[in-house]
Amino acid sequence: MNDAGDRSEPFFIGWAKAPTGLRPFLIGVGLCLVVLFGGVGFIAAATQADPGSGRGGRGETAIGVLTYDPYPLLYVTESERYPTGHTLLLSGNAKFGVQDRASALDGRLVQVSGGPVARGDLDMLRLRNGPDGLSLVEGAPATPEVPEPVPLGRWRLTGEICDGQCYGGAMRPGTGLAHRACANLCLIGGVPPVFVSTQAVAGEEFLLLADAEGGPVTDAVLDHVAMLVDVEGEVERRGDLLVFRIDPASLQVAP
Amino acid sequence: MSVKYVPVQWNPNKYVYDAVLLASVVLYIFVFLELGTAAADVTQPINGAIVRMRAFGSCAFLMLSVILAIGPLARLDRRFLPLLYNRRHFGVMTFAVALTHAVYVLGWYFAFSPTDPLVALLTANTAYGQVLGFPFEVLGIAALLVLAILAATSHDFWLSFLSPPLWKALHLLIYPAYAAAVAHVALGYLQDATNPAFALLFGGAVLTVGALHLAAWLRAPAEPTTADDWVMAGDAGDIPDGRAIVVRISPTERAAVFRNGRTLSAVSNACAHQNGPLGEGRIVYGCITCPWHGFQYRPEDGCSPAPFTEKVPTYDLKLEGRTVLVRRTAHPPGTRVEPTPLPEDVA
Repeated sequence: MNDAGDRSEPFFIGWAKAPTGLRPFLIGVGLCLVVLFGGVGFIAAATQADPGSGRGGRGETAIGVLTYDPYPLLYVTESERYPTGHTLLLSGNAKFGVQDRASALDGRLVQVSGGPVARGDLDMLRLRNGPDGLSLVEGAPATPEVPEPVPLGRWRLTGEICDGQCYGGAMRPGTGLAHRACANLCLIGGVPPVFVSTQAVAGEEFLLLADAEGGPVTDAVLDHVAMLVDVEGEVERRGDLLVFRIDPASLQVAP
Repeated sequence: MSVKYVPVQWNPNKYVYDAVLLASVVLYIFVFLELGTAAADVTQPINGAIVRMRAFGSCAFLMLSVILAIGPLARLDRRFLPLLYNRRHFGVMTFAVALTHAVYVLGWYFAFSPTDPLVALLTANTAYGQVLGFPFEVLGIAALLVLAILAATSHDFWLSFLSPPLWKALHLLIYPAYAAAVAHVALGYLQDATNPAFALLFGGAVLTVGALHLAAWLRAPAEPTTADDWVMAGDAGDIPDGRAIVVRISPTERAAVFRNGRTLSAVSNACAHQNGPLGEGRIVYGCITCPWHGFQYRPEDGCSPAPFTEKVPTYDLKLEGRTVLVRRTAHPPGTRVEPTPLPEDVA
């Protein structure tokens, strides 16, 4: 049994006027509630993590040689923004890749146009739809040579698998587990996956992912996106871009 | 109390309650979006849609935590009972805030892809065998669905239609929903938070809710030790006029013994409306008055005064000296039991 309490304690009835003796307490509780909500709102917002330096930009155009595997890339030969020889990752608008448009243009001189995203070493162009975004350069005297891949040895790296577009700044933040489903959707849509290493490899912090044979690796990495993982594979340099040809069987959550 | 169903039985107390609630929510969202985010140490601004989903999501979680704290707070200190009175509106508003969070998530993280957003929500991440990387969105969906059901049935029509025990059982789903929301945050946003402040706020809210429930549970009446048909309730002199003592007569049943002037009467401790604790109420205008929503019953027969029709079970009482005993077996709701006169020395 419980005690009956203080006889003089005011008793609140919802449909009646609040007891005078209870009003100061209720006013205090109301004020505390308002202060609690305001305070928690401020702290929760002010302590949000830095989404990083990734950012988008206005439309850019570049000319270069398109390669299709493992994901569409452009070796720049002419651009106002990008230096000659620079390698651009290519994706479509939103959560779409450009594989369908790029497959017939492998090794050809093309003009690309779209919105850039950039973060550190990573440069990506989100191509406009249709021929405005990707078109063959007609009448070019010759297609420039694409640099041969340079092997940099076998590496075991720790880092996060991201979609290149969101990591690059299309979404801020574009990393982490809260963003995982979004990253998976981007990758499934054809956006190139990148590996953001915790240690620099040949001076670079991000590497384009490929499978051991140099082909696309999206399906094999989906369960390990957006978390810190260890993975082993061959690193090779293609122009100024590092490609990490991983063995998906070696993927494991980093301890 | 009402003899007909209306969308909301407004009264001045509800206006004040909802005004404070709305002010708190609006302030939270405004401070989060306009002041707190501006003060965040970031290299590049966080996407507006992501800030909004975080604002509404964290606000909904705070609201849910406060809602769950009100019950045990009111049990531990009766001055908090007014917060319980209009908790339905708190719940409905929490659902609206949580739904806004979900709409922002769906329209940002799960939009702009070749897959339909609702399909993407369930298929983009299917790593159910992992703890880290678990599709925490489904936990949020589960919590939101429960909140939707509870919001939709937060009305006396549904209470009457489903019966108070079933309605009450349905609304206890708020606890699994809270557990799902906790896991949703813990496996999602918390994993990306680099500043410990959010973890401290989140953990503090969860621990406060848990500690309050534990404290309230420890204060619950003990199980009677006797197998006798009569259960000892206490000393008649310990019952102030117009108040009650509560006695547990079975694992699931409690009786409230009220003193009404010079007599004693016992009724079920569970109000017919929402199973509120009648024994924590008072006798007002000659009727036992529930502390939750003010439903009233006559002490001698457990019937609400006309034109109301609610009834609660009644119990036989007897005195052994000054000691009050309650018979375990309840009478059907609304059965009249002659009030027991108080001992001379108490009266």
